[in-house]
Amino acid sequence: MILVIARRELAAVFQTPLAWMLLAATQLLLAWVFLEVIDQYQGIAAPELEIGFNAALAERLYGATLMLLLLIAPLLAARSLGQDRQLGTDQLLGSAPVRISAILLGKLIALLAPLWLLALLPLLLVAWLVGASPVDLGLFLAATLGLCLSALLFASVGLLTASLVRQPTLAAILAYVLLIMLSLIHDADQLAALQLSLLDWLSWSQHLVWLFNGVARLSDLSYFVLMSALFLALAQRQLANRQLG
Amino acid sequence: MSMLLTVDQITRRFGRKPVLHGLRFYLRRGEVLGLLGPNGAGKTTALRILSGTLAPSSGRVLLSGIDMQRSPRQAKARLGYLPERAPLYPDMRVDEYLAFAGRLRRMPTGELTEAMARVKAQCGLTHVGQRLLGRLSKGYQQRAGIAQALIHQPDLVILDEPADGLDPVQIRELRGLIRSIAENAGVILSSHALHEVQASCSRVIILHQGRQLHEADLRLQAAAARDVQVRLRPPPVLSSVLALPPVETAEPCGKDALRIRLRKEASADALARSLMEHGYGLLELRPCRTDLEQVFFSCIGMESAA
Repeated sequence: MILVIARRELAAVFQTPLAWMLLAATQLLLAWVFLEVIDQYQGIAAPELEIGFNAALAERLYGATLMLLLLIAPLLAARSLGQDRQLGTDQLLGSAPVRISAILLGKLIALLAPLWLLALLPLLLVAWLVGASPVDLGLFLAATLGLCLSALLFASVGLLTASLVRQPTLAAILAYVLLIMLSLIHDADQLAALQLSLLDWLSWSQHLVWLFNGVARLSDLSYFVLMSALFLALAQRQLANRQLG
Repeated sequence: MSMLLTVDQITRRFGRKPVLHGLRFYLRRGEVLGLLGPNGAGKTTALRILSGTLAPSSGRVLLSGIDMQRSPRQAKARLGYLPERAPLYPDMRVDEYLAFAGRLRRMPTGELTEAMARVKAQCGLTHVGQRLLGRLSKGYQQRAGIAQALIHQPDLVILDEPADGLDPVQIRELRGLIRSIAENAGVILSSHALHEVQASCSRVIILHQGRQLHEADLRLQAAAARDVQVRLRPPPVLSSVLALPPVETAEPCGKDALRIRLRKEASADALARSLMEHGYGLLELRPCRTDLEQVFFSCIGMESAA
């Protein structure tokens, strides 16, 4: 049943120009960042280049993609649930013998398809350099995994906020606030002058930084999966509560 | 005969505001039940509860003995629901949409093609299978909405204001469709239009401000729909009017006036012709308000509007 819903949602995303325009615009932007980094490092000797160039490319290229994902994922998630309410198709799904969790997972799969395609774009650009320059493939694969996991988290938060409020724009704004707070939460320990490792653990940017540095730790991967599952479970609860009123 | 649907003391509140108070009724297979009430009477809330898209604050709904709250998926597999606004994806073609609706109801792929052909023929959608839903007229969109509710041959079909936005020809076709659905299933429809309920339903429940005020068997009232009131000059002689071919019964009602029940096959214009042929001048001829109409207005506290 999850796949039935995912197929319908995927058709809605890819049959309209929306996803294609997003991918094209992202590719254009990333190509510009990519060329800018290459420009800076032209003519530098290979040993020096290996350290500085790979790190700069990872930081700038993947950083830009992350910002785009942060911007797009909540919008797409809010649109996905909001459109059902707007069209009245939530009544079709609600009266069918389908679990709310299946509806949410179907929508999540359909959201992840364009977002993960978008997360792969920097890797495609980096692939152009293989053979021509010393590329740290491990670093870029870990960073790509980081982008994919971030997309999962952002989409889950977007689905949660879309289940909380009816207006898609408001839902997207709420998701941005929640994600930015969740990113900056580790700064709270500095304010309190205490070592609160829990706040560090809660911050997604603290986990992502490891992946962007080429280190794929199980604890970081677990963080993204667990937090996404938590937000999806809350969204499921919220949608079920809406039926109870 | 065992009950297809049992609605037991359903109550619903939104916050502190009660919108449905103790709704209680049953439905058998083959029956068409109408929920009649003015806008805001609680009809849509009641139908949403019956379709499982809204939970009741108290009470329970049993569909073929299955509790909607306890086993929602088993119960929902046996119902088809057309909400107030047809739940359509404008970017989907009619065939794609019906296939999606069938898959949502867990229909095996092998049965889908046949089921789609059946509902398209039933709802007059055969020649628009490849058209986008968003490009269809309101009437065809409503048909597609009804078709999705029928694709899995449910035991219970719930239609919320199905005639809304349809032209008279489409409304007539809809009545025929409802009759054909009721051959194998139970149907519940809501409407704020008296004539619609009278034309399609075998039983009616009148709702007002969330309360169930009246329940009636419309088959018993069908005869009353053939009543007309006439005022004649010279003053009518009852025996001579009773002898006219279109007249089944007649009784005086006020000065120079008679209440006449027409024979089943007779029409008001045949009566008018017949009266004039027998030397009566026709001062007035109007349909009598049926009992249902009287009950409806009396239920909603508008007797004076008669």
